[in-house]
Amino acid sequence: MRYQSQRVAYPYFVVALLLFGLQMVFGLLSAAKYLGPDPLLTILPFDVTKVIHTNLLLVWLLTAFMGAAYYLVPEESRVELYSVRLAYVQLGLWTGMGVTAVVGYMFGWTAGNKLLEQPFPLKIVIVIVMLMFLYNLGMTIRAGGRLTTTEGVLVGGLAFTALLYLPALFEFDNYTVSVFYRWWTVHLWVEGVWEMIQGALLAFLLIRLSGVDREVLEKWLYVIVGLTFISGILGTAHHYYWIGVPRYWLPIGGFFSALEPFVFLAMAMYAYYAIRRSGFAHPNRMALHWTIGSAVFSAIGAGLLGLAHTWPAVNKWTHGTLITPMHGHMAFFGAYVMIVLGMIAYAMPGLTGRSEDSRETSAHFWSFWLQISGMFGMTMAFAAAGITQTYLERILSIGYLDTQLKLQVHFLMLVATGILFTAGVALFLWDFFFQAGRPVAAPPRETLAPARSPAG
Amino acid sequence: MTKRAARLFFFISTLVSALIFTVLTIDSHRQFPKLTNAAAIDEHVIAGKHVWHQYNCTNCHTLLGEGAYYAPDLTKITAQRGAPYLREFLKNPGKFYSEERDGRLMPTLNLSDQEIDDVIAFLGWVSRIDTQGWPPRPILVRGSAVPGAASALGVPPPAAVSQDPVELGRAVYNATPPGCAACHSVAPGVNIVGPTLAGLPATAAARVAAPDYTGKAKDAAAYIREAIVEPNAHVLTGPTYAAGGRSLMPGDYGQTLTPEQIDQIVAYLLTLR
Repeated sequence: MRYQSQRVAYPYFVVALLLFGLQMVFGLLSAAKYLGPDPLLTILPFDVTKVIHTNLLLVWLLTAFMGAAYYLVPEESRVELYSVRLAYVQLGLWTGMGVTAVVGYMFGWTAGNKLLEQPFPLKIVIVIVMLMFLYNLGMTIRAGGRLTTTEGVLVGGLAFTALLYLPALFEFDNYTVSVFYRWWTVHLWVEGVWEMIQGALLAFLLIRLSGVDREVLEKWLYVIVGLTFISGILGTAHHYYWIGVPRYWLPIGGFFSALEPFVFLAMAMYAYYAIRRSGFAHPNRMALHWTIGSAVFSAIGAGLLGLAHTWPAVNKWTHGTLITPMHGHMAFFGAYVMIVLGMIAYAMPGLTGRSEDSRETSAHFWSFWLQISGMFGMTMAFAAAGITQTYLERILSIGYLDTQLKLQVHFLMLVATGILFTAGVALFLWDFFFQAGRPVAAPPRETLAPARSPAG
Repeated sequence: MTKRAARLFFFISTLVSALIFTVLTIDSHRQFPKLTNAAAIDEHVIAGKHVWHQYNCTNCHTLLGEGAYYAPDLTKITAQRGAPYLREFLKNPGKFYSEERDGRLMPTLNLSDQEIDDVIAFLGWVSRIDTQGWPPRPILVRGSAVPGAASALGVPPPAAVSQDPVELGRAVYNATPPGCAACHSVAPGVNIVGPTLAGLPATAAARVAAPDYTGKAKDAAAYIREAIVEPNAHVLTGPTYAAGGRSLMPGDYGQTLTPEQIDQIVAYLLTLR
């Protein structure tokens, strides 16, 4: 950490991680409901626990993105943040929005549009927060007079995140049209501009952790982001199967989303290349774990498991089955959760003034491996359940409810591995709050350890 | 490749993709009215869409295959169940399903009659959206007997098999619409929502002969025809069969099926001895 104002990232990480913990509670509750009679049916039914589970994911990831950006942008632009106060106001407003949404869902206050359930007034708050955030970043970059490719891609991703949220503000009488534009937000976020954010954070971390030449990494960052949009924009079509849109979206969706794995493959190769050049030399080995983990897990979860059901002839049978959460869980975890946990692990020694290897605690290691194995197990449980469901319900036309009863063993597996994953998250939180220390003032510039900015 | 070339690659590929996407979006808008039967979107359908959103339906069910995966897909539900059944179901799901038997149950939402009618109108409109043949086979809510779900085994379209009325009737029976197989199995003892039709000729003959019979039919064939066209002529009692003395079977098969199709179904059902 070089700039005092980077410390504002810390409260963002605090809020993000607390919401991450809360997301686990609602995830486990939702999973348990698959096992049969639900004692909470009348007070906290599945739709409520599920909507909170997914919304918390979106909110905490965005919180962590914001924190990461506030850490990264001053360092890249070599200037203090434009306004620390604005960043705090923004965090307060944002957290208030998130908490209101969660409480609201419990009392049935919902817009009921999948993943965009935030009621209209809260959507407006989200837009205001995003504008405050982008203004603060923009003014910082302007003051610094220096815009690196890495931060440009990051800020571009964040700006498009805000822009693509706008379709969510409109309502359409035609359900098909409303589904059509819902994907402009949801798909173009997670398979478009958020990959810009992931790519930028990955580039930042690789530059800092491996010491590979910035010019080389940033050149490939452009290529990765270019590939993301070639496959991602027209790949939106794979959400346009069977929903009442023209038929030509089928082959387009099949072709372009089949290219999506290349993006993730490129990111994995990117990380591999950087690490091969430098080895695991950087003392912050946990940050390295999460960074490489993100590149590998997103290649499997988002790339390969997405490809598994993206071809129209396959999707015809799997559409709307548990195959989708199989892909969704591992993709989100690999692409976004792991990269922000890597960012947090990387930023902490700087924020707390401790040594670079101070993050290498056994709790942190356990947290990493428990989350990896838990997520792998959950993915496998969803996969087994989804394949069986496809075969019994879609191919043999056995009733939905009868089929679900035959999937019980996979749901048991889901709950068991979900508990494993949650234990990993709990350890991460415990380590973050009780072992990692608290932020301190930045050291005077000249005492900076050179290891922190090998290619600065 | 230089960094400048990489940047150029990024800008050009993004721009071209976005441009193609925009053109296709505009063209899709041109086709939406026809593909989605948009002329049929009236105030009930719109109100029903609000009900769908307001009650967070999509976070358990799927519609057009999108949503959560905790409850059945409802894309074609109105073609399978019919309004009388759905009305009764939405008032009290516990009457039709149980947590003990099915593992899960829809909570009672206390919808008003108006909300129920609206959401059924909305789902009815959705069921007629051109989904390019999806789902390829009916997605059933319940029904566990593979022999009963003959449609699952891939019955060829009627014209391809023969001109035999029984075979034609089997094909109509297994098609959606009319969706007979979604509620009635042909396996003995398997009652999905309506009673099983296994052994129907004998059951029907016994029914017309019974003193409490309220219809006009004199024999099994006439009884089956009457039960299809006019389900309220003789109402069977059973928690999922009827409510308030009215059958929960759709009452409009007399209009939606051709007389030939009804003949064919009757011919087929008469073979289920």
